[in-house]
Amino acid sequence: MPIDIAIVGYAQSPSWERSELTEVQFLFPVIAEAIAMAGIDRRDIDFTCAGSCDYLSGQTFAFVSNLEAVGAWPPISESHVEMDGAWAMYEAWVALQHGDIDLALAFGSGKSSPGDPMQIYPLQMDPYTLTPLGADPTSLAALQARALLDSGRITEREMAEVAARNRRDAVANPYAQISGEEDVDALLASPYVTAPMRDHDLPPFSDGACAVILATADRARALSDNPVWIRGIDHRIEIHQPGMRDLRESPSTAAAGKGAGVADGPVDLAELSVAYTHQERILTDALGLGAGVKVNLSGGPLTANPMMATGLSRVAEAARAIQRGDGRRAVAHATSGQPLQQNLVCVLEGER
Amino acid sequence: MSEQPVVAASDSEQPVVMMDYFMHLEYREVVCPIVRRYADALMDGKILGQISPTSGLVYVPPRSYCPVSCEWLGEDHLVELEDHGVVTNFTIVTPVQYYGQEETEPFAKASVLLDGPGGMLGLQDILDLPVDELRVGMRVEAVWLPPEERTKDEIGNRSWGSVDGAIRGWRPTGEPDVPAEQFLDKVY
Repeated sequence: MPIDIAIVGYAQSPSWERSELTEVQFLFPVIAEAIAMAGIDRRDIDFTCAGSCDYLSGQTFAFVSNLEAVGAWPPISESHVEMDGAWAMYEAWVALQHGDIDLALAFGSGKSSPGDPMQIYPLQMDPYTLTPLGADPTSLAALQARALLDSGRITEREMAEVAARNRRDAVANPYAQISGEEDVDALLASPYVTAPMRDHDLPPFSDGACAVILATADRARALSDNPVWIRGIDHRIEIHQPGMRDLRESPSTAAAGKGAGVADGPVDLAELSVAYTHQERILTDALGLGAGVKVNLSGGPLTANPMMATGLSRVAEAARAIQRGDGRRAVAHATSGQPLQQNLVCVLEGER
Repeated sequence: MSEQPVVAASDSEQPVVMMDYFMHLEYREVVCPIVRRYADALMDGKILGQISPTSGLVYVPPRSYCPVSCEWLGEDHLVELEDHGVVTNFTIVTPVQYYGQEETEPFAKASVLLDGPGGMLGLQDILDLPVDELRVGMRVEAVWLPPEERTKDEIGNRSWGSVDGAIRGWRPTGEPDVPAEQFLDKVY
C-alpha cells in the first residue's frame, strides 16, 4: 500500500495571453507563495520536480533556468519531466513513497505566447505520418468532437453550455484569462473555427505556472491543521496513433480512475482537464462521475490554460475547493498528448 | 510552417528508408521590463546591473531576481557598472565551416569581470589582439559604438551577458595583469 502523502501548499500565477515577464520571472513568486503557504524554509525541501517544455518558448535548456526560481545553490536534488506539472507531482509522490524524505516541491510552467502552438504541437505526434500533415490540437479535437456528436452522446448546444458554465464560474477565479456571462444561443450563432468547433469550444493557450508542496503524513500534520490528502494517483497512456483509438471513449482515464480509487467513495467535485468542451462528457463518463458532481468550479482549462501547468492547476484548484469547503472528496485530472492520449487521475480528500 | 516532405529517390521497387522533413518555427518574444531598462541605458552609454543585498552578487544584464539568495530584485537594486574590467576566462574557437558559419579564422570569446561593483559579461569579443596573446588577468576596456550607431535589436531575454549593438568589444588597456589566482571562482 502507498503511504499517505498530503498537499500542504500550492500557488498559481494568473493565466496570461502574453506575459511580458520571462518564464523564470513569473515562476519565481509562485514557488515562493507555495513555500510560504506550507510554512517551510525552501532549504527543507528534499526533492524538486519540474514539468515544462522548451519547445513552447523556443529556448534551449529553459527547464534548467527555471530552477533559478527554486534556488538551487547549494545544490539540490531535482528532476524534470517534459510533461505537465501534474506528472512532476506524480514523480515527487513516488519519491516520497521511498520513505527516506518527507518534503517535495512539484511545479509546472509554460510560456506559450512566443511561439504558435498550432505549429509546435504537431511535432509531438508520430513524425512519419502525422507531423508532416500538421496534425494540430484543434483539428484532432474536432475529429473527436465529430465522432462524439455523430454517436448522439452530445449536442453542439451541450458543448456551448459547458463553455458558458465554465466562463460564468471563472468570474470568481482571479487566475482565469476568460470569464463572463454568455448566452448559449449567441455562442451557437458564432461561426465554426474548425467544424464542429467554435471559438468557445477551444481553450486559450496561456502563459502561467503552478506549484505544490507535498509532505508525508507526520510532516503534513505538523505543518498544517487542514492538509489535503492524496488518496490515490495513477496515470495511463493509449496508443500514439489517434486513428487506432475509439476517440469517443477514454479507456486510459477509466483505468487511471480505477487505479486511483475514484469509485471507492462519493465524489463531491472534480477538476478535469477539459480543454475542449466535448471532452467533459468523455471524461465524466470514463470516471463514472454522476450529475451531482460539481465539475470545474474554477472554470477549468477553457478559461485558464497555462501550458504544462494546466493539469497541476487542476490539483491546486481541487485542493483549494476542498479547503474552501466546497466538498470533502475531489478528483483532479490531467492530460497529455492529443486528444486525451495520456491521462492522470488523482483523488484528493480533506481532513474533515 | 513551411514544410516540404521529400521522399528519398523513389525507385518504386525500393523501400523508403529516409524521409527529409524541413520545418520552420517562428518565435516572437516581448523583452521583459528590466531588460528593456538595461537596453535603454546601454543606448546612453551605461551598463546597468542589479545587486542582491543578501548574496552580494551582481547580475548583468539585470534579471529581476537573485537565484542564489532567492530574492526578488527591483529598481532599488539597479546599479551602474564600470565599462572596464578583467578577463577571467576565455575560449578560442577554431571555426569549422558548417552551414551558416561566417568566421574563417580562430577567434576568442572571453568572460569580463567588471571593476567596481562587479558583474560578469560572458562571450565577449576581445579586439586588437591576436588570440594567442589573450590571457586570464588581462585588463580590458569597452569599445563603445558611436551613439548614432547603437541599436537595441540584438538585446532580448535570452542574451544574458549581451552588450551587442552598443559595445563592439573590449580592448586591452596595457595596464599590468591582475593575478589569475584571484578569479578561480569566476571562470564561467
